[in-house]
Amino acid sequence: MQQHKIYHFLERYFRANQCEIVENGDGYLITQLTIDMDKELMNRPFYWHYIETTGGTPDPMKLTFIIKQTKETEKLKGERLHFGSPRLHQIFQSAQKRGSYIRLYENSQPLGQQFASLHPWLGLNVKVSYQCDRKRDFLLSLGLHLISGTIVEQFQERLEQLTLTPRIPDYCFTITPLIKPKSGILRLEHYIKNIIQQDDHSWADEALKRWKEDLALLDHFYEEIDEKPECYYIEKEALEEQYKPRIRVSIINGGLFYLQPRPNAHK
Amino acid sequence: MKIEIEFDSAWKEGFLERLEQDGPWSSWDLYQLSLEVAQRLSVPDFYGLQAPSHLPHLTPLPHQLEVAKQVVEKMNGKAILADEVGLGKTIEAGLILKEYMIRGLVKKVLILVPASLVSQWVTELNEKFFIPAVQQKKSYVWEQCDVVVSSIDTAKKSPHREIIYQQNYDMVIIDEAHKLKNNKTKNYEFVQNLKKKFCLLLTATPIQNRIEEIFHLVSLLKPGHLGNAAYFTEKYGKTRALHADEHLKALVNKVMIRNRRMDTGIEWSKRNVETIIIEFSKEETELYNAVQSLKNISAGNQFSLITMLREACSSREALFVTLKNMLEKHEGETPSYFNELIEKINAVTKNSKAEKALELIQSINDKVIIFTEYRATQLYLQWFLKQHGISSVPFRGGFKRGKKDWMKELFKNNMQVLIATEAGGEGINLQFCHHVINYDLPWNPMRLEQRIGRVHRLGQTNDVYIYNFAVKDTVEEHILKLLYEKIHLFERVIGELDDILAKVELHNFEDYLHDIFFNSRSEGEMKIKMENLTAMIDFVDNLNKGGKTYAAT
Repeated sequence: MQQHKIYHFLERYFRANQCEIVENGDGYLITQLTIDMDKELMNRPFYWHYIETTGGTPDPMKLTFIIKQTKETEKLKGERLHFGSPRLHQIFQSAQKRGSYIRLYENSQPLGQQFASLHPWLGLNVKVSYQCDRKRDFLLSLGLHLISGTIVEQFQERLEQLTLTPRIPDYCFTITPLIKPKSGILRLEHYIKNIIQQDDHSWADEALKRWKEDLALLDHFYEEIDEKPECYYIEKEALEEQYKPRIRVSIINGGLFYLQPRPNAHK
Repeated sequence: MKIEIEFDSAWKEGFLERLEQDGPWSSWDLYQLSLEVAQRLSVPDFYGLQAPSHLPHLTPLPHQLEVAKQVVEKMNGKAILADEVGLGKTIEAGLILKEYMIRGLVKKVLILVPASLVSQWVTELNEKFFIPAVQQKKSYVWEQCDVVVSSIDTAKKSPHREIIYQQNYDMVIIDEAHKLKNNKTKNYEFVQNLKKKFCLLLTATPIQNRIEEIFHLVSLLKPGHLGNAAYFTEKYGKTRALHADEHLKALVNKVMIRNRRMDTGIEWSKRNVETIIIEFSKEETELYNAVQSLKNISAGNQFSLITMLREACSSREALFVTLKNMLEKHEGETPSYFNELIEKINAVTKNSKAEKALELIQSINDKVIIFTEYRATQLYLQWFLKQHGISSVPFRGGFKRGKKDWMKELFKNNMQVLIATEAGGEGINLQFCHHVINYDLPWNPMRLEQRIGRVHRLGQTNDVYIYNFAVKDTVEEHILKLLYEKIHLFERVIGELDDILAKVELHNFEDYLHDIFFNSRSEGEMKIKMENLTAMIDFVDNLNKGGKTYAAT
């Protein structure tokens, strides 16, 4: 992650969490945390406990982040951030936690005084991990039309084109889903399974081959011993943990989106 | 084979709950940020290294990156890292560990290292790799911390042993793994019974004496890779060296990587060593002789006498502090030699060594580190240099981390000279300086090596200049000429000596030297004893070099 992207990310993260950006200059950013965000990031439960029990005036911290070495930041006191620094990862985790569930409406301007209908979609962003002694991830973004059951990919990209709001706009009404969200999730899981099954899994075959080879070596090592010692079984277990191919699917985030019907949305 | 697909259900539950309670819902901004984080943290490929992009401040050397890549891609995360000393095996191990942690394949880690290296590993992993490694101090650490560093001697003992066996480690790293060459030892058995999903064994000397050593080491990592014991003895038992058998060599190279200094293509900067012999003034000589004559009165023990001689070579201030302390502890009437010595100290009007140092610093006209053994000398030098318009920073092993960093920064940015009493293997890096004055010499080769190691290490771009001071016709000159120069200490690569001394098995080098100096009845006897000592070190050194060709790839 390049430095300017980190900068941009931080700016959006703190704004989205109602923290004022007090100062931003070349390569640095100073933000005033809210009480809520101080609790989230500063790890000082005793302070907050004390303030709350004594009724003291809360004083959430002001943080200075230095992202780039410049003339201005050289003498500045603050935390230096880069991709990989623990603080940035803490912020990443916080962003993930705070951006998991959503419900939005498309902001449509109906013509005249007619009411416009908004159709329900279930949107999911998903991470699929292929894992043995190596690992690879890929992301999927799926949308399920909760009326017709149509599934579209790259759903997130479509959403990015629209204007979305957390409250239902005037002169709009929502259509009740025919497919319940719970079974919608199941349909998408099924769809994901299909995608995975059609994928190339030579990685797993190769891992199985490595596993078998090492197992054969292990058996050879202890072949002259009738009663195998405990370490034989420990080693065997270790090999399974090391090589056994696994596929994990986890949902990054998702939610309900009420969108205007579009003739080409279902292709 | 059909691979199981696991669906993580945590999200689903949270979602249904929110549907029921009509929220709370995230904002669109946070939702997008959350997805962006997932994109950043996902690993797009089975191959290649992710770790370097997480560690922008660390610049691993090409051979270190290559090792990490090979271990992850070709060796399935089980390997013996056997680079020659000084090539950065710790960096390699850190890179590999970081890579697996980023990929989410490793969480729980056990790192076993010699007791003297525990804190160094903890610091390096935290500072260089942002891996929250913790030193094992209390027994709950095993269970509660994910990355634990401990000595093997602690780990193998009850109750630690039992607790460790209950943990499910994803990775085990063992430094100085050649100590596991013998399969009959408790250490070996302890490691054998550890579950090793991913495992790194670090050693600069995979084979020291016998070919079976490599068999035991490999069998710990990957049992059966070299066959079983009976098969190995039959097939390779007569093999003298690894390179003598192409097949064995190829097999071993599948689980072991060994970079040699000359293969890495790294240009090491040159090290220039200069001995500067200093002549005492008449008064200084008289003081030194007066201390030496105490030997005949047999006052005090041998330790304090040798110490006083060494102090007399450093500064009258250093000697005075010791005398004062002795006097305070002394019961009964003050012996006459005390007063004589004090008189002799008062008679000294100049410090020949300090004058030489001043002259040298002025001619170098660049940053200089002066090492001395004594606090009093340190203070004196600081004062003395100041009189001549040279500002300096003091540095001691006892400084807290923050103060050390502060002093280092001061030296780097504002001052010409740093005066240190303790080299301390505590990871301060002074590569921006390349002149070192050994104002007086420690009587422990390792400490001397550590001093040099502060500046002459990978990453030093300038040639390094070492100036060794010794006063003519004193213990100092003997130790320099008869010991350090004889064992080629100043020409050696950092780390090499450690290996040698471990095998000489002299538990306390300094005591041994004291003994030679104190108990020799003549200079001839002392010289013979020193020759014996250097011959012994030489012998081990040669053995080592022989051993290294065993492991030659």
